[in-house]
Amino acid sequence: MKISFLIHNAYGIGGTITTTFNLAHALAERHEVEVVSVLRHREHPNLTLDPRVSLRPLVDLRQDKEHALHLRPAKVFPSAEYRYRQYSELTDQRIGEWIAATDADVVIGTRPGLNVHLALQAPPHVVRIGQEHLTLDNHPPRLRTVLRRAYRRLDVLTTVTEADAAAYRRKMLLPGVRVEALPNSVPDPVLPAADGSAKVVVAAGRLVPVKRYDLLIEAFAAVAAEHPDWQLRIYGKGEERDRLRKLIGDLKLWNNVFLMGAATPMEAEWVKGSIGAAASNFEPFGMTIVEAMRCGLPVVSTDCPYGPGEIIKDGVDGRLVPVGDPDAFGAALLELVRDDERRRRMRGAALENARRFAPGPVVEQAERLLSEAVVARRAGRAVVQDRTGVHRVLVSQGFAARDAAFAAAGNARRLVRKGQR
Amino acid sequence: MSAEQAVQPRVGCVVETGGRIVFDLVSKSAEGRQLLLRLRPKKGQPEKVVHVLDLEPADDGGRQAVLDPNTVLVEGRWDVYLVREPEAERQRLRPGLRDLRALVDGHRRDWEAPLAVRVPYATADGYLAVRSWLRPAHAEVDGVTITDRSTTVGARLHGASLEAGAAVCLRLRSGDGLVREVEPRVEEDGRSFSFTVDHGELAGGHGVWDVFVRPAAQAPLVRVARLLDDVAGRQEVFVYPTTTVNGVGVRPCYTADNDLSVEVKKAG
Repeated sequence: MKISFLIHNAYGIGGTITTTFNLAHALAERHEVEVVSVLRHREHPNLTLDPRVSLRPLVDLRQDKEHALHLRPAKVFPSAEYRYRQYSELTDQRIGEWIAATDADVVIGTRPGLNVHLALQAPPHVVRIGQEHLTLDNHPPRLRTVLRRAYRRLDVLTTVTEADAAAYRRKMLLPGVRVEALPNSVPDPVLPAADGSAKVVVAAGRLVPVKRYDLLIEAFAAVAAEHPDWQLRIYGKGEERDRLRKLIGDLKLWNNVFLMGAATPMEAEWVKGSIGAAASNFEPFGMTIVEAMRCGLPVVSTDCPYGPGEIIKDGVDGRLVPVGDPDAFGAALLELVRDDERRRRMRGAALENARRFAPGPVVEQAERLLSEAVVARRAGRAVVQDRTGVHRVLVSQGFAARDAAFAAAGNARRLVRKGQR
Repeated sequence: MSAEQAVQPRVGCVVETGGRIVFDLVSKSAEGRQLLLRLRPKKGQPEKVVHVLDLEPADDGGRQAVLDPNTVLVEGRWDVYLVREPEAERQRLRPGLRDLRALVDGHRRDWEAPLAVRVPYATADGYLAVRSWLRPAHAEVDGVTITDRSTTVGARLHGASLEAGAAVCLRLRSGDGLVREVEPRVEEDGRSFSFTVDHGELAGGHGVWDVFVRPAAQAPLVRVARLLDDVAGRQEVFVYPTTTVNGVGVRPCYTADNDLSVEVKKAG
C-alpha cells in the first residue's frame, strides 16, 4: 500500500508529531509511506524522520508567509478548528491540489480540520482515515457540529482511547464509518531499562496549565520533606515556566525540584529515574506515561479523562490518583519512594504491561484496519455494515441538536459582543 | 529528508560508573577510523589541543571508541568529530542517546584527586560535545538554605581535607581584591562542611562574588562548585531565589562552568 499522513506541521515538537512519525516508521517496513506537512517553518524536522519515509511540505512559511492567498482566511479548513488562524486560502488550495493528485491508497488525517479536508476532497479511490488525537467531549460545540457532518464521509475514524471511541459512537451518527481506538505506539527503547534504584522522579511535557506541574511540585513537597535525597525533574518548555520556578522558590524546593528544559528524545532522561509522574487535569492519551513505563518506570498519574486509566493498572504497574488532589498525589509518590521492593516489582509490571503499546501490536492493528478499509472501498461498500438501531439514532440526534444549539448560542454571543464593541 | 541531514552521522555514548565513556557510532553507513575530540578554543584563538580515539568494530555491528578514565582531558568543552580517512576533512557529530545514568548520583561518592569529571552534552546548535573539569581538589555543593537574611551552603570536599585555619572566601569579581571570609562548620570527617553568608555582608559590593574554600591556613583556594552529576550546564536548571536586602538583590547562582557564585545587584 501507499500510505500518506497529512499533518499540520511535521517540523515542530509535540505528541501528534511523535506518534505520527512512530507509526510512519513502523509502516515503512512493509509499505510506501509519506508524511505531508501542511506547514513548514524550518529546514529540518525537530524529530528525526526515518529516511525510508518521504516528507513533503505544502506551504513553506519561510517563503509563503506573505503570499497573497495566505493572508486570506481559509474556506475549506473549518473556522471552528483550534488552528484555524494558521490556515488560509493558500493552505486550502495546496491541500486540495495535493489530495486531488495523490496516488496514495490511503490518506490519514491527523487533526480535525485536516480530516475535514480529507472527507470533502479525497478522490474516490483514496481510503480516508481520520485520526483524532484530541477528544470529542473537549471539542467546542461549533466544531462538533462541523465534524458531525463531515466525518460521515470518512471510511475509518480512529481515537486514541476506548473512552473517546465510545463517545463518538454514542454522540455522533456516523453510519458506515468504522470507529476504533488505535492507541499511540512507543518504539522499543534502545537503552537498558531503569533499574529502580535512582532517587529521581521524572515528568515530561509542555509546561502548560493543563499538565498541572504546579500540583506535581506541591505534591513533591511531601516527598522532599521526608526524603530530602530525592529529586523531581520536569522536562519541557512552555508558558508556565516562570510561574513554576516561582512556586519552587515559594515552597523552598530548589534543592529537590528542577525544571530541566526540553529534551528530545526523552529516553536517556527517563532511565535516570525510577518513578514517572503525570498530574494532568486532562490527557487525551498520555504518551509520556507509556514512554516512562517502557523505560521501566512505574508511573503515578491522575485518573483524568481519558488516557491514564486505560494505560495504568492501579497498584500493579503504577498508581492512579484523583484529579486535582496534591495530598493524594504526594501520598502515592511516597508509597513508591518509601518501598524499594514495591517500586521494583511495579517496574517489572510496567515493562511487561506497556509492551502492548510497542509498534508491533499497534502497527498490526493499524495495518489490519487499513487493508480492510482498502478492500471495502474497492468493493464499494462501508468498512462495517451499519448496525445503528433506532435508539442510537435518537441519542445521537439529541447530541447533535444540543451542539447546534450551543453553537448557535455561541454565535449569538459573539454577535452581541461585536455589537458592544 | 535532505541529503545534508541524512549524511550527518550521530554518535551515542554511555558513561560507565568508573568514568569510562563509550561512544557508539549510530549510523551504520558512517564508516570512520577515528573520533577526534578537540578542545574548543576561545573565540579568535587557534585550536591547540586535540585528542584522537580509535574506532573499533562493536558487537552490534556499529563502531565504538572508548575514552578511558585515565586519559587526561584539560578543563573545557571538547567538540567531537569523525575522521573517515587519515587525510580527509573531519566531520562534526550530532548526538545520539547519551546514557548518563551512572553520573546522576556522582555527588554521593568520594572522588580521588585530581578530580576529572566528563559530561557529554548537546550543544545549543545541536552537536555532541564533552564538558570536562580537571581540578586538584573540589568542593561539591549539596543543599542550599536561603532565608531573608542569609544563605547557608552545605558542601563536601574531594581531594583535600579541611584542617585548622580553613576558611570560605567570597571574592568580588573585578572588585579590586574585595574578599569576605567566613568560617566553615566542619564535620568530623574533615570533608563535609557548611558555611553561612550574611546577605548584608555582601550587599555593599555589587557584582558577582565567586565562592572558594581554603582547606588549611596556607593551602591554595578550592573552587566551590557543583560538578558531580549528569547536568553539564546548570545555570538555567539549578536556580535559587533572590533575596532583597536594603534595595539590593542577593542570589546564589552557578556560572557557565557550574561554579558557585553569589550575584548582588540593585533590586527590581
